[in-house]
Order: sequence, then C-alpha cells, then structure tokens
Amino acid sequence: MSSIITHSAQETIELGKRLASKLRGGEVICLYGNLGAGKTTLIKGIAQGLGVKKIVTSPTFILINVYKVKRQMSNVKCLIHIDCYRIDSARDIENIGAAEYFGNPNSVVVIEWPERIKDILPKKRMEIHIAMKGEGKREISINF
Amino acid sequence: MARIKNYELRIMEKYKKIILGIESSCDETSAAVVRVKCQMSNVKCFEILSNIVLSQIDIHKKYGGVVPEVAARSHIKNILPVIQGALDEACVSQKDIDAIAVTNGPGLITSLMVGAETAKTLAYLWQKPIVAVNHLKAHIYAAWLQEAKSYKLKAISFPVLALVVSGGHTELVFMKNEKSFKKIGQTLDDAAGEVFDKVAKILDLGYPGGPIISKYAESGNPQAFAFPRPIMDSKDFNFSFSGLKTSVLYKVQEIKRQEQKKFQVSSFKFQENIAASFQQSVVDVLVYKTIKATQQYKVKTLIMGGGVAANKLLRQTMKSEAEKNGVPCIIPEIRLCTDNAAPIAVAGYFGKPIPWQKIDVDPGLDISEN
Repeated sequence: MSSIITHSAQETIELGKRLASKLRGGEVICLYGNLGAGKTTLIKGIAQGLGVKKIVTSPTFILINVYKVKRQMSNVKCLIHIDCYRIDSARDIENIGAAEYFGNPNSVVVIEWPERIKDILPKKRMEIHIAMKGEGKREISINF
Repeated sequence: MARIKNYELRIMEKYKKIILGIESSCDETSAAVVRVKCQMSNVKCFEILSNIVLSQIDIHKKYGGVVPEVAARSHIKNILPVIQGALDEACVSQKDIDAIAVTNGPGLITSLMVGAETAKTLAYLWQKPIVAVNHLKAHIYAAWLQEAKSYKLKAISFPVLALVVSGGHTELVFMKNEKSFKKIGQTLDDAAGEVFDKVAKILDLGYPGGPIISKYAESGNPQAFAFPRPIMDSKDFNFSFSGLKTSVLYKVQEIKRQEQKKFQVSSFKFQENIAASFQQSVVDVLVYKTIKATQQYKVKTLIMGGGVAANKLLRQTMKSEAEKNGVPCIIPEIRLCTDNAAPIAVAGYFGKPIPWQKIDVDPGLDISEN
C-alpha cells in the first residue's frame, strides 16, 4: 500500500494521470471517500491519462458513463465510470449491465461508493481511499 | 398577405396532427396527448389535450434517491394505465393518434426501456409512425407549449439560446433554427440539480433536494455565507458545481465542530442560511453565464427548461436579467419544466419518424445527437 498527499485538485488530476499510465485493461478500481473528497477529480485524471477526449462528469444521475479510449498501443478501449451513490443494492448495478464490464480485458472500471455493492465486487481489484485533510489537501491511499 | 394566411390556415387543417408522447427516463411515468394547433412556417403552436404525470417521489423518498430497480418496476406497472388515462382525458382513441413520440435517452437505462418498448409495441399494433425523442431537446421544446397557452400566435425568434438545467444536466445550447442544437457549454462535474440533492443531504434535509433547499432558503439570509461562484469568470460557457458542494460541506463541518465545543444545540437558522447562500451562488453563476452567452451569440430569444428551472429564485432572476438586456425570455410553467410527456410530443412533431425496429435507448445520449 502506498499513500500520497495532494494539495490541490490539479495535483489529484496529475496523480490520476500517473495511475492511468500503469493500467493495462481489465482493472477494477474501487474509490472510497466522502462527498466532496475528490473522487470525480481523480477519475478526470485517470480519463485524461487514458486519452479520453470527452469531459468526465458525475454519473450520479444515470449511474454509469462509458467513455471511449482512443489511445493506441494499449488494450484499453473504454473507461467505465460507475457511481453507486444513489443505489441501494448490488442488483441495481447488475440490472443496468454494469457488472459485465468487471474484468473485461478491454476496459478499465472505476467505481465510486463501491461499499454499496460489495457483494458483487470482483476479488481482484484495486482499492483507493481518499481522505480529506483540510481545505484542498487530500490523502490518497492506493492498495493493489 | 391575408390570402397567404388563409392558404396557410387551410394547410394547417389538412395536416392537423395529434401526437401521443410517452416519457419514462427517470422516476416519472408520463403520457400526454398534444394537438398541433398551428403550423405556419414561422409560427408553431401546440395544445395540450391531456398530460398525466405519475411521480414516484414518495416511493423513492425513503431511499434518499431514485432506486433504478424500484423505478423500472413501478414504470412497468403504471405505464399502460397512464397512457390509457391520457387518451381518455383527451377524448381521443387510437385511431385519432397520428404519431407516437417516446424518450430514448438520456436517463436510467432500465427506466427508458419501459417507455421505449411500450411505445414500440403500440406503434406496431396500431400501425403508427414513431419518433425517438432526446429528453434534453424536449426540455427546450416545452417553450412552444407556453406559446400555445397564451393563445397568441407569436413566433419564437431565432437564433435561440437555451439553458437546460436538471438533476442530470446543465447545458447551454445554441439553436439557429427549430431543429439545430449546438452545445456551447456544460457542467464539467456535477449537474446543478445534483448539487441541490447533495447539499440537502449534507444538511440532513431529505430528498428531493431542490424544493427542500428553496423552502429553507426562503427564511434564510443569502449573504450569510460567502460561498464561491465557481468558474464564473472563465471565458468559456462551462459550469462547475463540485467545488461549491465541497465548500458547503467544509462550512457545515466547521459549524458542527464549533457547536460541539460550545455544547450548543444548533446555531440560529443555520440550515436556512446555508441553503439560501448556496442557492444564491448557483443562481448567480447560471444567470451570469447564460446572459453572457446571449450577448456573445446575439440571440433573439432565451429559453430555460429542465427540473431546476422550477426554482423560483432562478426563474425570477433569469427573467429580470434577460429583460434588462432586452432579450425575450421564455420559461415554461413549472409543471412543464419538470419531467412530463407533453414536450416529448412536441419534440415528436419536429423529429423524424423511423421504423420501430430501429428505436433503441441510449442512457448517455448527447443533445447534439439524434
């Protein structure tokens, strides 16, 4: 496990980009952190690092956003952004077909509020905890 | 001139259309019957014969948000009675319907599918043309229903700038004519309606956040807290609300910490003041950027639609600022701003029918697609 401190949203985005360069496809990344912790910010960085052109916005309303990855030299064809903030049971995520992306070698899945669907999370997953340490400052712990 | 008018009136009679609209993209099941009252080249207006909206808000309240599976099951149960109710109330039967319009995105996939599959079945069974409607465009087309209500045949002058502001979207759209949609700005993170929900949650006020926040804000002081106006001064027309949400969270945590130290129960009107200051901040940013866009794009009409357009302060501020700048501003009445099927039917009039086999839902549909 490694732990990193970032001091601004921009630094969190940079960290996301560095993280993206390590992704090979098939990863499931669980992002833990309270409202306002910066989960979407980190995902913006991951998306930029993967070469997603579209603006990454919060999928709270429609639960899942699928972004095409145009970068060559990589297996990753799409970034799946799932937000479980509004849902109650893992069945909801299965019903919208989101779980089918888990472990798919062509996609990277990032899940916000994964604690709400812990029953269906794959065993092999990356866990990232974001803790707020005062204004702008975040402690980001990554568990492979 | 008079002769042209008569001629156009005759054409109008000939092509008189009755459209059935069906909407189920989130947690409202709705069906509406809309008649095309007038379709001259520059003036179009529509009459709502019926518009039935069945809200699931009470069902979802106890979960603090929309639960997709519950929503879909509820749509399945309600959709046929709602459609039947809309036909009955409009005093029409299936033979009178000229076309069916249905939302195919954006929204929750499980909810969208219920409406789309029902509409396809009816189109097949009744042998009627079917049009897939982009929900975001329908929020803008609600403005045409406004014109019908005043019974004045007044054209909407183009170009139009539209602000679509709801629980899932915050977008500025430029329209050079009735059928062209160009997105010129959007939220970079959370939608405006979404931050209302999340701030209501931070304040422990319940769901849905929009109406509760504005109710609390009425007795609060909008200047009590200086929350940021995120990216208000940026040169583009994008929005950002995530940082505002975080500022509110910091402030609430700080107040709670102080209370614990001093063993106070609660500061005077603390929730009301936070709600009022937060709401003011959202309204300031939305109005400022929208008005700036009307100037830069030299538009002749401003339209605002979507669930957040039901917010009183936003309606008043947008209207008065647009007036100051000499831009006519159309904001549909509140029941037409929140999700309902009447604007879906209007959008169906402007859209192109396609074979029912080709109708497919798209939860992430963009306003410039379809």
